[in-house]
Amino acid sequence: MTARSMYCQLLLLPGLVALAASATAHDSGRQYPNSSWEFGAVLDAAHTSKKLELGYRDKNLGLGHSDLMIRGPLGAAFTAEGIFAAHTVDDRLETHTERFVLRSRNLPGGLSLAVGRFASQIGYLNEQHPHADDFSERPLLYRGFLGNHWFDDGLRLNWTAPTPFYLRFGAEAFSGKQLIKEAETKPKIGTSTVSLKTGGDLNQNNSWQLGLSYLNNRRQAEVHTHSEGESAHEHLHGASFSGRRMWMTDLVYKWAPDGNPKNQQIRLIWEQASVARIHPDAAASLRHSATALAAVWRFRPAWELGAKTDWLRVNKPEREEDGDPIEFGAARLREHAMMIAYKPSHMQTYRLQFSRQRADGADAAEVFANPVRNVVMFQVVLGFGAHGAHSY
Amino acid sequence: MRIVIKSVFAALAIGGAGAAQAFSVFVCEPEWGALVKALHPAAQIFSATTYLQDPHHIEARPSLIARLRGADLAVCTGASLEVGWLPMLQERSGNAKVQDGQPGMFYTAQFVKLIGQYEGVITPFSGDVHSEGNPHFHTDPRRLLQVAAALRDRLIQLNPGQASSITAQHAQFSKALSDRISGWEAKAARLKGKPVLTQHATFGYLWEWLGIKSVGDLEPKPGMPPTLGHLERLRAQMSQSAAQAIIIAQHHDRRPAEWLTRQPEGRALPLIVLSATVSEMSPTGIFDWLDGLVMTLQQQIRH
Repeated sequence: MTARSMYCQLLLLPGLVALAASATAHDSGRQYPNSSWEFGAVLDAAHTSKKLELGYRDKNLGLGHSDLMIRGPLGAAFTAEGIFAAHTVDDRLETHTERFVLRSRNLPGGLSLAVGRFASQIGYLNEQHPHADDFSERPLLYRGFLGNHWFDDGLRLNWTAPTPFYLRFGAEAFSGKQLIKEAETKPKIGTSTVSLKTGGDLNQNNSWQLGLSYLNNRRQAEVHTHSEGESAHEHLHGASFSGRRMWMTDLVYKWAPDGNPKNQQIRLIWEQASVARIHPDAAASLRHSATALAAVWRFRPAWELGAKTDWLRVNKPEREEDGDPIEFGAARLREHAMMIAYKPSHMQTYRLQFSRQRADGADAAEVFANPVRNVVMFQVVLGFGAHGAHSY
Repeated sequence: MRIVIKSVFAALAIGGAGAAQAFSVFVCEPEWGALVKALHPAAQIFSATTYLQDPHHIEARPSLIARLRGADLAVCTGASLEVGWLPMLQERSGNAKVQDGQPGMFYTAQFVKLIGQYEGVITPFSGDVHSEGNPHFHTDPRRLLQVAAALRDRLIQLNPGQASSITAQHAQFSKALSDRISGWEAKAARLKGKPVLTQHATFGYLWEWLGIKSVGDLEPKPGMPPTLGHLERLRAQMSQSAAQAIIIAQHHDRRPAEWLTRQPEGRALPLIVLSATVSEMSPTGIFDWLDGLVMTLQQQIRH
């Protein structure tokens, strides 16, 4: 985002607070209390022994996804929410507006609308805040294809069906500028998505959710000229690997004795993505793909153990020299992680994580130049004030 | 593809419109389901939680979104009890009736006076504290009477055709509950002033009502699971605090309380596991449950 639009949005903030104050004053004494305005902050800091290939955390001490949040009702029709986030990149502090959204609350027939800047609802993890993740780094799928956490300026329309099980259809249209930062083609609606979520309970102990999403991307990423061994230190912004189309599938399964997850719970999360038409010059069979599988066991109240495995297979378009034809570097990156976390309340998380990477494939040395053998991360997440509800 | 989706939409719309239209109530905790059942027996009631679950920590499961999607009324405690999951259900349900500020969203805590407001500065280390106060007020039947009256009015407002039946049901329920209160108080009279160890503020209102004294909490901070260091401190203070019993809720992990009863200081203490809410959403569910609470305490706390 440009500095100018950031300041414009920051200037809107006092207006929002004033509106909030007037709306709250208007509500007092009413028979049906509206939700009140909430403020919150999250600090996410980690110490990392080495920076991962495609990693979003700096070596040594770094600030992860930390944010300031304001949220509340605008009359009966809307919920407004703003999230202003900061994290360190190469030891410099970066700030951005992550969310600045109006969500409808009183459309009929199970419809809901969102306008502004918000995270796309494709996949499972994308809509969640990275500081609520079960692992200190997101799966390679997100780091490779979605810039870790893809939020953008756009519009969303959802419909929740009146079915006995959960069924939701959704469509989104975005500028796409946050996904593909430097594009050769720049249509007004750069990316759009359609998605379906469904799920239910098998019985009191077992529940599941399945998601299918499709992303149409009309912003064709610029192809860079090859430069030796830089990838681990590259400034990661937006998708590192992209294409015209992406399909995603996500499946979540959770188990808790008596449906009481506070004491014990197992969560299994599988996500898969496939990117096609990766470049006009690429053969149709050339794709990027990624899979992530995570298992987390809450074995005592407040204590969690987790294991995650993911891999990413790409064909990176690159020019050897300016003016050369584009070549596609085939490589695969695999990553495994183990973690143990202590979460004594909603407001505190302490996590120790071990990760390990391996790159292979014909052009691995060029595409993933710095896979790391062993990485130890220690992460602390602290919440202040209001914290939002968690999604499934 | 487009045609397929369109026909699915059409089929669902027809199916939805054709379904029988019973008044559908979503409750966050089963005590409110039992109360709705007593006031409006014809309502179709679904509870998001059971007595085996900690209402602070519930997953916003897809099945709960689907249930809230079809509700005409949602009855929840409020006072931040469901703050970790209910707002997500409301947002995802797309159901305009049950959003905050609508008559279809009924927060019971709005109609009673809460105790135990947290008055310090809330930091990340304060635990899961509520500045509004302790939300577990449903263990106090006098406060249940206040909620019942407010819920009667809301049910009538949403079902004007049933006004006389709901009024009559409420009068009957209210009288039956009022009549029982003095009986319970008489039964529990000897418990007044008895010191006990407890876990969380789950039964805070029950202690206030019956005059039982909580002299120690197994949780080091509200909502924070017991730690060994904290249990060790409780053990050391046991002879001084003269606790007569350790009382936890059914949905609590039993290991910390059991550890205390294995220590020399705690060996003689009964471990009492109480149900934090009704086990069945029947019209008499609340009476049966409160009967059980008073009886268990009366029998198991030493003379």
